Amino acid sequence: MLKPEAVLRAIAAVRGDAVCVPTMTTAPAWREIAPGDLSVACVGFMGGASALGLGLALACPERRVLVFDGDGSLLMQLGSLATIAAAAPRNLTHFVFKNGVYHTSGGQEIPGGLRVDFVAMARGAGYRDACAIADLDELRRRLSALLSAEGPILVELLTGLAETTPMTAGLGAPFHEQAEALRRRLAAARAEAVAR
Amino acid sequence: MPEPIPAALVVDALKDVFLEARGGRPCAPLGWVLSVPDTHQRTVLAALDGERAIRVVTCATEDEAVAVAAGLWIGGEPSVLMIQHAGLYASVNALRGVGLDGRVPLVYLIGLLGREPDRDPRASRHSMVRYCEPLLETFGVPAARLEGPADLPRIAEYFRLAHARRGPVALLVGLPTC
Repeated sequence: MLKPEAVLRAIAAVRGDAVCVPTMTTAPAWREIAPGDLSVACVGFMGGASALGLGLALACPERRVLVFDGDGSLLMQLGSLATIAAAAPRNLTHFVFKNGVYHTSGGQEIPGGLRVDFVAMARGAGYRDACAIADLDELRRRLSALLSAEGPILVELLTGLAETTPMTAGLGAPFHEQAEALRRRLAAARAEAVAR
Repeated sequence: MPEPIPAALVVDALKDVFLEARGGRPCAPLGWVLSVPDTHQRTVLAALDGERAIRVVTCATEDEAVAVAAGLWIGGEPSVLMIQHAGLYASVNALRGVGLDGRVPLVYLIGLLGREPDRDPRASRHSMVRYCEPLLETFGVPAARLEGPADLPRIAEYFRLAHARRGPVALLVGLPTC
């Protein structure tokens, strides 16, 4: 079983200029690991991370977009798997941190608990690829490929509970501030690319 | 009395809006339509099928459509949402969290399926029609009716308004487009 913080550190080490979309229990840890960078947390509309990531991936086809989803969160907008597959963003890697519970709201089991198979669901929806990883060494070995292969790709990560949640660590900057900051950075990067 | 709006005119209005949003610089796609298919606007969606300048993303739910619009906006891409009144009711939390608290410009084209041509929508026999404008008012969302071709300039007007005030706006399509 993976530690969420170790997963995020491993991703941070190789993600380059990818835009990242954490949500729920990945958000506080990601704030610590990658402060003030190309990220926007899905805060205030639980379940929206996958679709938010899709919009970013369609808007920024030249850049990788990584979604750090939760299992309970994804269940809230499970149809987004089909929406993402149909839109077929080649630059999207969708990580699902699967711990079997709604950690933020007190640890209640999600419907189906750990039996829910997001890999099968993603494949059935039409993702280009999907896999499950439960070992940190395997994740490190495969991470570069998962961040560069043609998407959409879903990676189900079997994890324990994060050390913090938005309830214990706070929500961080409100969504509108994060969104505006990322929007400016992406616009500046586009302007720089045109100038070159 | 309201009158149907030809789909081609709506598509042209959307192209103009997207081109303006890009400062007059054409590119492909010019803009995005995020749709959870709407009976009232089906001829527009059909016309968009053959339209290369606008890319349509069909979403499974209106919640998703709102979040996709947010991602596109953060990435600098203009979009509008084409949904039905029932979809607005289904996605009120996304409207609140993304559009209002999140301050993301959201431009809704909402079909009023069941709207009776001879009645004001607020007096409709159908609750889905009757509650639409009051719901938008409750959330402080500016709304206008598209009751005929003469109202098409409101699309551009409300698109600008959404971006100026950083929030949602709604255009209510009174009759099925033709």
